[in-house]
Amino acid sequence: MVASSENFPLLRDLLADQQRLQTPAARAAEAFEQSRTTGRTSAVFAALIPLSAPGPGEQYAFEVALDACSGCKACVSACHSLNGLDDTETWRDVGLLVGGDERHPIQQTITTACHHCADPACLNGCPVLAYEKDPVTGIVRHLDDQCIGCQYCVLKCPYDVPKYNSRLGIVRKCDMCQSRLAEGEAPACVQACPTHAIRIVTITTGAPLDAHPRMKSAPQPGHRGADVSSLQMAESFPSEAGRTRLSGFLAAAPDPAYTEPTTRYVSRRPIPPSLIAADASELRVQPAHWPLVVMLTLLPLAVGCQLIATSASFLPSWMVASARDLTALIGVSLIAGGLGLAASVFHLGQPLRAWRIFLGWRTSWLSREAMVFGPWIVITALAWLRPQLAPVAAGVGVLGLFCSVMIYVDTRRVAWRFSQTAPRFFLAALNTGASASFALGFAPLHTALLLAFGTLAKLACEARVFRPLDEAEDDAPLTPALSTARILCGPLRGWAGMRVAVGLVAGLLVPALVLTATIPQGGAIVVFVGVLLAELTERALFFRSVDAPKMPGLPANLSRRS
Amino acid sequence: MTAELVQHPAEFGLGRVPARLTPAATTTSVCGFCSTGCGLKIHLNEAGEAINLTADGEYPVNLGMACPKGWEALTPLAATDRLTTPLLRNPSNGLLEPVNWLTAMGAFVRNFKGIQEQHGPAGISALSTGQIVTEEMALLGALAKFGMGMRHLDSNTRQCMATSHTAYKQSFGFDAPPFTYTDFEESDALIFIGANPCIAHPIMWQRVMMNRRSPEIVVIDPRRTETAMAATLHVALRPKSDLVLLYGLAQLLIQRGALKRDYIAAHTQGFAEFEQFLAEFTVERTAQETGVAIETLEQLAGIIADRERVSFWWTMGVNQSHEATRTAQAIINLALMTGNIGRPGTGANSITGQCNAMGSRLFGNAGSLLGGYDFASASDREHVARILDIDVAKIPDGPSLAYDQILDAVDRGEIRGLWIIATNTAHSWINQGTFARLRAKLDFLVVQDMYATTETAKMADLVLPAAGWGEKEGVFINSERRFGVAKKVARAPGQALSDFAIFQLIADSWGCGAMFRAWRSPEAVFQLLKRLSRDRPCNFSGIRNYAHIDDFGGIQWPYPDLSADLAVPDPAMPAKASSANGSGADAASESTSDTHRRLFADGQFFTPNGRARFYFDPPRAMPELPDAAYPFLLLTGRGSSAQWHTGSRTNKSAVLRKLAPTELYAELNPADATRLGVRSGDRLRIASRRGQADAIAFVTAIVQPGQIFLPMHFAAVNQLTYPAFDPHSRQPSYKAAAVQVQAV
Repeated sequence: MVASSENFPLLRDLLADQQRLQTPAARAAEAFEQSRTTGRTSAVFAALIPLSAPGPGEQYAFEVALDACSGCKACVSACHSLNGLDDTETWRDVGLLVGGDERHPIQQTITTACHHCADPACLNGCPVLAYEKDPVTGIVRHLDDQCIGCQYCVLKCPYDVPKYNSRLGIVRKCDMCQSRLAEGEAPACVQACPTHAIRIVTITTGAPLDAHPRMKSAPQPGHRGADVSSLQMAESFPSEAGRTRLSGFLAAAPDPAYTEPTTRYVSRRPIPPSLIAADASELRVQPAHWPLVVMLTLLPLAVGCQLIATSASFLPSWMVASARDLTALIGVSLIAGGLGLAASVFHLGQPLRAWRIFLGWRTSWLSREAMVFGPWIVITALAWLRPQLAPVAAGVGVLGLFCSVMIYVDTRRVAWRFSQTAPRFFLAALNTGASASFALGFAPLHTALLLAFGTLAKLACEARVFRPLDEAEDDAPLTPALSTARILCGPLRGWAGMRVAVGLVAGLLVPALVLTATIPQGGAIVVFVGVLLAELTERALFFRSVDAPKMPGLPANLSRRS
Repeated sequence: MTAELVQHPAEFGLGRVPARLTPAATTTSVCGFCSTGCGLKIHLNEAGEAINLTADGEYPVNLGMACPKGWEALTPLAATDRLTTPLLRNPSNGLLEPVNWLTAMGAFVRNFKGIQEQHGPAGISALSTGQIVTEEMALLGALAKFGMGMRHLDSNTRQCMATSHTAYKQSFGFDAPPFTYTDFEESDALIFIGANPCIAHPIMWQRVMMNRRSPEIVVIDPRRTETAMAATLHVALRPKSDLVLLYGLAQLLIQRGALKRDYIAAHTQGFAEFEQFLAEFTVERTAQETGVAIETLEQLAGIIADRERVSFWWTMGVNQSHEATRTAQAIINLALMTGNIGRPGTGANSITGQCNAMGSRLFGNAGSLLGGYDFASASDREHVARILDIDVAKIPDGPSLAYDQILDAVDRGEIRGLWIIATNTAHSWINQGTFARLRAKLDFLVVQDMYATTETAKMADLVLPAAGWGEKEGVFINSERRFGVAKKVARAPGQALSDFAIFQLIADSWGCGAMFRAWRSPEAVFQLLKRLSRDRPCNFSGIRNYAHIDDFGGIQWPYPDLSADLAVPDPAMPAKASSANGSGADAASESTSDTHRRLFADGQFFTPNGRARFYFDPPRAMPELPDAAYPFLLLTGRGSSAQWHTGSRTNKSAVLRKLAPTELYAELNPADATRLGVRSGDRLRIASRRGQADAIAFVTAIVQPGQIFLPMHFAAVNQLTYPAFDPHSRQPSYKAAAVQVQAV
């Protein structure tokens, strides 16, 4: 008998039954039953958090017992679920350290969240004061309502902690479940660790790294009292003497001197400093941040035009300029400056909140950059009307560019050190400014010479990035500098080649051809477009090839790769 | 935006939860991934739909903890590639196209009956799973064999637990893992053989970490796994030399006089022959064949001899071997001869794999007749037919072919129709290329799954949309024989139906619906199965219903219906509450005796004479040894706690994807890496005589020189594996194949 709709009432019943759920009312008795029990707030978890608030000079910190951490990663999932994070959002990570020798190979899982640093780089860099360090608990909180989504904290944090949430256009991060702690409830990760490897301790801030954490509620050694729940771990509650702090912060983790992370990694087994992260050899290409690429190409162009206009007015003998030429140059700078600043807005997840960007000026170079480039664009507009103001605009613009340089230098990323970033940004101003002048037909010989010098000088500066390739052995561990060099010769090889080729053609060859009248005058436009293209590419490579420090990760995991 | 994350105190003992996820009610459910059988507390909204979950603090298995798969258990239900209608392959364009259930049932019945008319009733066969609830397994087994006339039905539990099943059945007289999880806590020495609980069973490892007896933890494994790292002694033996090692240990224990002769005499049989057999396993031979130093062997024997409570735990390293059953029995033998069984903290304990492998072993109706009866026994067949009220002639008089034999029969053209339920053969079957080839020999392939995107579903002629864990109810039986209830807390998408409902629909469409009138709901089937279990070692006839299981935090078998003379706990005083919180000494001891029970305390086994039996055979070399052309030995295994088997569910969670490798990687010893000129991160091509796989090199001394490890969760791995099978359990030997490795 084959089914037909007439003789198949069973199907209808089954489909209807499949959609039927027991309603909460029907579960009321069950729920009542469960509400009597203490569940996740039980005394078991209370033993893993301090009983009292930190005193002066103290703060809360995560303590991770490496011996107990076996790599189950429940902490990450539980944090995700109990904090109601978005599908792809996680505030805790796990990684792996590997090493040892043939006879005693070592693998050690590392669980890591926000380190609630004593000197938080995220907080210091935030232009809108969207971070605060709780004066009592020391918890570094992110104020989601204040955040403008500039993601500078993502660049500033050496531990890759703040995570950008594109749905909300803001960054979010671990707050040590402060509202749970305030109620005497353990943070999600602490509650969820099957071996109680994570707990909250009170530490003395500013103490050297080998100082002992103070665990106010730690059970006494050998404590087996009747009130101790069966859930208490034998292994993860060694006596205080058994908890050996690692020398330093943690092998293969970024240098703690920068932000003074407070997380304490403890182990009774020695964790050799020679261990490396399981993903240490992975080349991680970073996001390009296109709005920033555009901004950081157009603002140097604007300032470059102003500098050339200024030099024309200060050195009239060197460059004879007509008022019309100057106005045209400043006009270019006004358009480029306006577009550049507009582009930067597209980088923000919450542009409407951006008016408060100056608030962080005491510590944030991003605030300072905004505070300089804001007035600068007004001065530039005035200079367009009155060219004698060009030197003022140029001076302020140089200051702005210096702030831009410092934004990246202040992240302490090796590829963005001052000796790389400053020449790149200022030579970019020279090259783009000169190419604009050249295109406008303003002192073509002089500007072509400037452009030739700038092109060669900048390429020489960029070429220094590849030096680690010559110095490093083939199997040398991946240092930050080596990582940048390998990314540029590896995944970004094509882009890097294009940047050099376009730079040389537009910066040297075409100007020469135009000057020698080998090609028509219109080739000057090619110079401008080509130099701009070369600079845009270089700026994208600047972002994409940077070494982004982070805590140790997992092998062969590409889910975080940008 | 801050408001999004603001937490409110939730009721139901949950502590604080994000305001938007505040539950209107909660219920409990047992996790549907692995055999640990953790209790989850499901948070429900006003409509009774699951919105979140936490690990159940009162459940005696996991005590408020869960692994990341458990925490993410609801996520795979919301995957965008859920199957919402049946799909039927359109012969004109070769594509799978949505059809309604009536068309799907028509195609199912027409094609399978057509095959049976041409090739006999055994021309169709089914491959089932350890992932569905017991009631569904029983209905499938009964429908396939008694209703549809199939002779052969097997399950993916063949790939993980068949060895333990066979070993226990022979040695103890019944498939009876003797332990309870408290044995992890109460042991003086835990010997893990081919097991990596840190990764495979994190919540069991939690129980090991709760052991307060300063136990020795020994890990016998070729790799220095996470568990080996945490052990007090890691015995890094040569792969597949464990049988020699275990016999060598037995011989050392005899020499030390560490035997419990009284126990052996009173409760076992066959020891004299075993003792004689062991004579040739000298410590020198053992050391030479296993690569383990004599001192280490002596040390290990000393631990077993000297510690009061020694427990042995094994998983896939033992079960997946060419001589798996004898290896498992060599472990059982060690426990028997040292009297380490039936006491707290002892036992020869097989840690199961899938959430309901135990249900499948008892009620799958594959190797043994429903309830662990014997197909070959006329009286057993009559007994079962009487309880089920069916014609005894419908029950086959012999067991099914095993998984590999079913596929061989497909190859020979004897089986022409295959129905695959909740498993991913095209990914997981050993020497996977064979299955792709066999697909062409099948006239009709039906796949029943939550997703149409599994490797196997993509090959099917008909795909039936199944509801998943959380969208249906029934019981699972965990590693320690504990029944737990899985609940329906989410609506299945579209027209997807529970496997139970699909089986009902098929029974009706096939024309054998009348045979299953009594099987009207999972709980009705549970009552049937109770009656089937009544005279069996697994007797659980004392369990009243699902609510009874819930009230007691799961119930272990045996649980006979002897309420008058057995101390059945008072339902008004649920034992589970006290076990988690230790609220009082009396409650605690009572709960331990009822909530955590082990077998064989009285030394009585399930064999006809009540004695456990010693089984042994001479060790054999693995079938495919590395040679000059294929110099590496390939090991496979679980790669991370965030991945489950072929990833059809766990890959749906963004969180779990972050916690696991996303690309196939190969662990390679530094010495081999240097020789091959390979660095971590380089691309490797790994080839066997059967296929090849590309992987990212991960250079680490965790693996020994000459060996390479690949995590099994990636489909390419089984291109390489060598199809060897244990002769007794027919379980495939996934962890030994000769391969060559080169940089690409």
